[in-house]
Amino acid sequence: MVLNAVQVNTVKEKQLRDDQAPRRWALDATDLARVAVFAALVAALGLPGAFSVFGGVPITAQTFGVMLAGAILGPRLGALSMTALLALVAAGLPLLAGGRGGISVFVGPSAGYLIGWIAGAFVIGLIVHSSARKPAVWRTALAMLVGGILVVYAFGIPVQSLVTRLPLAETALTSLVFIPGDLVKAALATLTVGTLLRAYPRAFRRTWLPSGRQEADAPTSPAP
Amino acid sequence: MVTLYRPGDSPWHRLRPGPKMALLLLIVLGVCLLPVTWWAAGVMTGVCLVCYAVPDVGMRELGRQLFTARWILGVTLAGQLIFLGPESAAANTVRVAVACALAALLALTTPATELLETIERAMAPLAWLRIDPRRAALTLSVTLSTLPVLATLARDVREAQRARGGGRSLRHFAMPFLVMALKHADELGDALAARGVR
Repeated sequence: MVLNAVQVNTVKEKQLRDDQAPRRWALDATDLARVAVFAALVAALGLPGAFSVFGGVPITAQTFGVMLAGAILGPRLGALSMTALLALVAAGLPLLAGGRGGISVFVGPSAGYLIGWIAGAFVIGLIVHSSARKPAVWRTALAMLVGGILVVYAFGIPVQSLVTRLPLAETALTSLVFIPGDLVKAALATLTVGTLLRAYPRAFRRTWLPSGRQEADAPTSPAP
Repeated sequence: MVTLYRPGDSPWHRLRPGPKMALLLLIVLGVCLLPVTWWAAGVMTGVCLVCYAVPDVGMRELGRQLFTARWILGVTLAGQLIFLGPESAAANTVRVAVACALAALLALTTPATELLETIERAMAPLAWLRIDPRRAALTLSVTLSTLPVLATLARDVREAQRARGGGRSLRHFAMPFLVMALKHADELGDALAARGVR
């Protein structure tokens, strides 16, 4: 990509500042790759060939990916990967379910839900990674319900109401249609995270303290 | 990766991405400020038709845009009809449809790479928030190149599922897909590190 003068200048300034600034917010290469892969994963879950979770009703699996991104990457990287995905959507790539994309989705009724993905992934990561011990099933489930459903709707419903000019209460009522699907996805995400914790712990790229009961003999593998 | 971009030589294609984005957002804003009445719905439809009535874009494209938004429009229309009555339902649904269709013109007439560059440039002020625009741009381009890889992985897992006589259940798809994606992330991270990304 061509750098223009402004960019070159900011890059130089940035390099100067980088040397002094603490590197707490810097991503290493693996973090960057994981952010990119989860952004792409959510996009892949929206590809044609939709999943039917309950009898024939095609639902988008993308929020399922959002839940996984938050739980696996943690708050900061999870939110970052959703931001990366939405930036690509804004650039006109048809990455949302049903081949939607472009700026138009950010002026449409579902704009708030998309912004809610960023906040939702953050909150899920916060709850799942809130303790040094492996998250128990109830904590993962709580994270999915609060971050994956409550937070997403808290962003989505007001914006939808604003865009469609349907009062807030009625908008909330119509959104109830999607709650069953989201509950199924939350349950599925909880199961998947639980399985992943046992079967592929390095997915989380962190070590957990042994949780006392069952993990005494199974040391968690350190990050590569 | 297939983008929404349709090559052509309309006035929209000739505008530079920055001004085009500003102009389209202005029109969308104008449309959104119209009152909720029958005549406003007519005006909005007119504006939308005029914007699409240029060579290399055309009514066919408008139809395609509305078709991709059909679910959202349907849900909007249904909710409005139940709670607000026909006039509001028509005006609000038309407004949503027109706003989406107009905003879609940006992606339709601007190559994704140009838009990404514009986004990168717009991200420069983020340096104040300690966000490195170079890192952000790298993340976006890595994501872009990862998309086809994960799409292939998803297809492979689904085919394996079908070969074993499984249905299209998300439950049995999730674990293998996730582990394959995570392994790919590790390899990708190593590859980036080997190329000097710290």
